[in-house]
Amino acid sequence: MRLLVIEDEIELAALIRAALEQAGFAADHAGTALAAASHLGATSYDAAILDLGLPDSDGFLLLRQLRRQNTSLPVLILTARDSPEDRVTGLDSGADDYLIKPFHMPELIARIRALLRRPNAALGIRLTLGNLVLDTASRQTLIAGANAHLTLRETTMLELLLRDQGKVVAREKLENRLYSFDSELGSNALEVLIHRLRRRLQDSGANITIHTVRGVGYLMAESN
Amino acid sequence: MLLAPAEKQWSLAFRLAWRMSLLMFGAIALAAAAIAWGSISTLRGLDDAALQQQVHIVAANLPAGDTPFSLPPAITLPFQNSDGDNFFIVYGPNRNLLATSDATQEEEAAIFVPRPFRQGFFRIPVLARHPHGMIGYALPAGRNWVIVLQGREQSSVLTASLMSSFFAGSVWFLMPIGFAAMLVSVLTLHRGLRPIMRVSATAATIGAQPGIRLPLTGLPREVTPLVEAVNEALTRLEQTIATQRRFMAEAAHGLRTPLAVLTARLDFLDPPHASALRQDADRMSRLVGQLLSMARLESLPLSVDSPVDLRAAAVEVITTLAPIAVQRGIDLALLGAGSPGPIQGNHDAIVLALTNLVENALNYAPHGSAVEIILETPARILVRDSGPGIPPQDIARLLQPFQRGATAAAGGAGLGLAIVSRIAAAHGGTIQAKNRPAGGCVFTLTFPSAAA
Repeated sequence: MRLLVIEDEIELAALIRAALEQAGFAADHAGTALAAASHLGATSYDAAILDLGLPDSDGFLLLRQLRRQNTSLPVLILTARDSPEDRVTGLDSGADDYLIKPFHMPELIARIRALLRRPNAALGIRLTLGNLVLDTASRQTLIAGANAHLTLRETTMLELLLRDQGKVVAREKLENRLYSFDSELGSNALEVLIHRLRRRLQDSGANITIHTVRGVGYLMAESN
Repeated sequence: MLLAPAEKQWSLAFRLAWRMSLLMFGAIALAAAAIAWGSISTLRGLDDAALQQQVHIVAANLPAGDTPFSLPPAITLPFQNSDGDNFFIVYGPNRNLLATSDATQEEEAAIFVPRPFRQGFFRIPVLARHPHGMIGYALPAGRNWVIVLQGREQSSVLTASLMSSFFAGSVWFLMPIGFAAMLVSVLTLHRGLRPIMRVSATAATIGAQPGIRLPLTGLPREVTPLVEAVNEALTRLEQTIATQRRFMAEAAHGLRTPLAVLTARLDFLDPPHASALRQDADRMSRLVGQLLSMARLESLPLSVDSPVDLRAAAVEVITTLAPIAVQRGIDLALLGAGSPGPIQGNHDAIVLALTNLVENALNYAPHGSAVEIILETPARILVRDSGPGIPPQDIARLLQPFQRGATAAAGGAGLGLAIVSRIAAAHGGTIQAKNRPAGGCVFTLTFPSAAA
């Protein structure tokens, strides 16, 4: 995975490259829009991290130019500007994500991973959290190495929560998936299923917790 | 903004109609007076000419001599038939009466005839049968004098009869013309002002988006300078805002870049040493973010004219902050089954306000307690916690910038609630803080509902 870091602040660029390389990515650096354009023309990149305030051009212009060339290169905008106008312009000009400076490196790495995963999310991958591993291709869940024998519905709920681990998953999203199994569900079907999943996880000794965010949805995180 | 109807303001149309009607009545009165004056003097002139003619006729038919005599009926009859309105007197050389057509009135009038006789007109102020007097003409005929007298009608009576015929005849077409003129001018004014109404409507739509100018097309020339001046003022205002926006962007970049470098460096340090430093850097980042938000709210207009779904805003805030709540063992929840209708506002600003309120509550809420966002119709969001509550002496100054309560958690800058207050005000809404009887406090963000 090769990434291009377009950032005029040399020190910050060096730190980002170091963090990306630590995370297993290869990273190049371009300090100007011109340098970025020549890098992008010469090499094929998997994603780009774009600073908006470049010395020779506005990052938005570079992004629009990129999108006009019809590339689907995932772009994460890194910027100090957080006014609503800037955010709207950024997403309108075709950015895939938007991160405000200052930021934490793990957050940047996580977002880059999410961007790279986005187009082929349906492919079989192993989702892990704590001592739990879900193989999305074989639909098998291992907890501390042992098969947890979850039902199809439980596995589907677990997969949705695992894909967005650490984040709130809206109950509407979970319910919609449940309806794809059975269109005639009671009003508390989701609660019942989550309750069952919690007990299974607990019984199997999983060190993860499904938190209820009342009125909004559920959040899965490692137990602390 | 422009031409807003104020109390007790006269409309131009009303003023014009009022003055036009005054003018019309004035013109009609003047015309009537001129006609009356002209007619009366013409009538008088005619009367005088007739009088002289009568005197000459009588004089031409006088017999010679200075003894009393009678005149032929062809002369006397018209006088006698005038019912006392006209009569003649003939005096001899010694002023002795020679003949008259009306002996009774002659006796009465004799004393008023000026002596010595002089050719010409004279007046008799009043007689029994002529309360408005008579006019006479004296003419020498040989050694005798012929006098003819004629009753004079009072000018007011004449005027009254003239006026009644004038009003009966002329006013019927003068009045409609006057009204038509009034109507035409009011309509002209109304049509002339219509472009101004259009300009007002455009002016009313001017919000935070730049580039809107008041239309000059179709405007009466008298108003163009005003509209042009307003447009120039708008241009200057937009330039100021653009400068301010650029400055804010520069400030954000200038403040955040070194913080970003610092944060990135700290992320490479080992956790035991770095965690305290990271907290400091995060605190500074938060402060910079809040200062920038506050400065932006103070110096730039907030556009509040898009539909905002308050439930969606609340869900967004909870989704963002739930991981922090989970980490701190706080139950963050959204309550309120009903969904308030969409309000006119700014989604990002409302999310920022609500984020500040919830972050604030999370900072005070003890482990194991709940922070609840409650949606109420028509357009109200409550944020409720079970923390220590607000000391009564702090409630009043809670919403001022840089005011931190005695119980404030570490890491705050005292800007969060001031930002919420600015955002509420920009929406025409309010923010209210109250302690709950059961402990903790509740912040109520109220927006004007779409129906209002």
